[in-house]
Amino acid sequence: MPEEPDIELSFRGGRLVSALPIALFIAWAIFQSGILGIGDTTGLVAGMLTGLIAGLLFVRGDWKDYADVIFAGMTRRVAATAVVAWLWAGMFAETIQVGGFVDGLVWAATVLNVGPGLFPAVTFLLAALLATGIGTGYGTAIAFTSLVFPAGLLLGANPVLLFGAILSGAVFGDNLAPVSDTTIVSAVTQDADIGGVVASRVKYAVVAAALAIAAYLVAGFGIPGVWGGMPHIDVAGEVSASVSPWGLVHLLDIALVIVLAVRGRHIIEAVSWGLLLAAAFNVALGAANLVDVSAGSMLLFSAPQNGLTQAVEALPLVGAVVETVPAGQVGVGGSVYSGAAGFFPLIVLTLLLVAGAEIMRAGGGFDAIQELVIDRVATTVRRAETTMVVGTALVNATVTINTAAEIAIAPYIATLGKRFNINGYRRANILDANTSALGYIFPWGGGLLAGYGAMQGLVGGEATPWFTAEMLVNPASVFPYVFHGWFLVAVFLFAAWTGYGREYVSDRTSEEVSRV
Amino acid sequence: MSRLGKLLAGWTFRTATPTFEPGEVITAYVSERNGDGLTVRIGDSVIRVEDGEDAAVEDKIRLEVTSFDAANHVGTGDVVEVLGPDV
Repeated sequence: MPEEPDIELSFRGGRLVSALPIALFIAWAIFQSGILGIGDTTGLVAGMLTGLIAGLLFVRGDWKDYADVIFAGMTRRVAATAVVAWLWAGMFAETIQVGGFVDGLVWAATVLNVGPGLFPAVTFLLAALLATGIGTGYGTAIAFTSLVFPAGLLLGANPVLLFGAILSGAVFGDNLAPVSDTTIVSAVTQDADIGGVVASRVKYAVVAAALAIAAYLVAGFGIPGVWGGMPHIDVAGEVSASVSPWGLVHLLDIALVIVLAVRGRHIIEAVSWGLLLAAAFNVALGAANLVDVSAGSMLLFSAPQNGLTQAVEALPLVGAVVETVPAGQVGVGGSVYSGAAGFFPLIVLTLLLVAGAEIMRAGGGFDAIQELVIDRVATTVRRAETTMVVGTALVNATVTINTAAEIAIAPYIATLGKRFNINGYRRANILDANTSALGYIFPWGGGLLAGYGAMQGLVGGEATPWFTAEMLVNPASVFPYVFHGWFLVAVFLFAAWTGYGREYVSDRTSEEVSRV
Repeated sequence: MSRLGKLLAGWTFRTATPTFEPGEVITAYVSERNGDGLTVRIGDSVIRVEDGEDAAVEDKIRLEVTSFDAANHVGTGDVVEVLGPDV
């Protein structure tokens, strides 16, 4: 696709005013999520739209140029790549979840009869495995808090520690999974292939994870369960009766995606194969009555009741994905639908944020900030990398939706890193580690809020009648226990200072970006 | 690069001042422009290129190292090819 010539914009008040749309967005995000505690991505879309309109008022000359720059930003390849990756990854992740994959993991933990001391460490490992497979830390936080958290409480594990372990596992997968939204953004914005980024990331993730496992073992045996008076149930007997191990077959389609990804297949191709295999497994498992899943779990047309729809419902094959419902419940559903739809607000936000970044580029705002940072702060490669780590951490610590924060900071990481010829893999790793870690630590972090929402759903839930509002973990109390997140930041500060894992562009160049 | 190679690359403590041999051809981004010349920083090592009119800051270039002083981490080089900016 031929690039259009770059338009330059001039702003009343100087080059830094071109940062207004993004600055206003960040202020909006802090106000909405940090102060008011509302983790609503569509709310952030409204913030970015407001920012783009506010910026328009300061443009010198023709406003049409400003509009053209918005279009130029939204049609950049980085935006399209992220959109495609999210849609495919979303469908795949949701299809695995309806196929009973989480149940399979719970089954594995219970048959191994894990005790309260060991439970947080094992939960961290299983959450990390799930998150690495499905690529969504938020989904992992929700699934594990709904399913594994109550099991751990019944076993007598410390609830705050257990919630921290779940969030740590989510951080691990968000950071490492090839289909994770933050992994994709980090690779695309630093012009590196996703497979290579993931492979180069292992050296940091395993160091932090090893430290985190040790910390969960020490804390698990050292800190007693808070509610000693809770009913202790034989969880092994209780849970294994209700969950099926068969969801574990989805390890095969996760493996398929990973193998295809590492072989350099395009993300659409790799995930499509995984999705087809997962769908086939779901239909087979459902038909054999091994897991409560069917074709309708993946795609379902809920049509209003009339003669025609009832005739369609009775048809073979097509009828499997059509049901007739009362007028108020009409709609389309299933994992293919909801998996993709879950990313719609984030997709729109990304398109608008990329447009905001383009305005900042066209107006010289990026140049102004970069000159300041490069001339005054990042004068050596060690200081440049430390600036990249601390800067990414700060932005992610303040903005709830970590993917949005990552997109906003990514151009700085690219420019600062290229100035010292830091390899695209290394840049992507610095960017993503802090993005993944900080989004799950603080009480306004999106991942933490996702898990907390699931925990609120446990109160008076059908499967957990014993869980009361007093048992909810205070979101502000969990931050010291998200061990993997903290260790990941520490590993990168150490790596920036000592050169651990550092690679230059001249050592090896990253491969084509659209390869997974 | 092989899969295993990708996994095992970079498990080292890399110096802030890498060294290069004269005649070595490397790929790197342009760090600064000064008049007609270019400065390419690889970590804290600096390679100066006298004639690099075609290349802009952040352009990727192939350059041949013509000299390198390992004690002071500075060298000179010539542009072999301008690969241009990342898309």
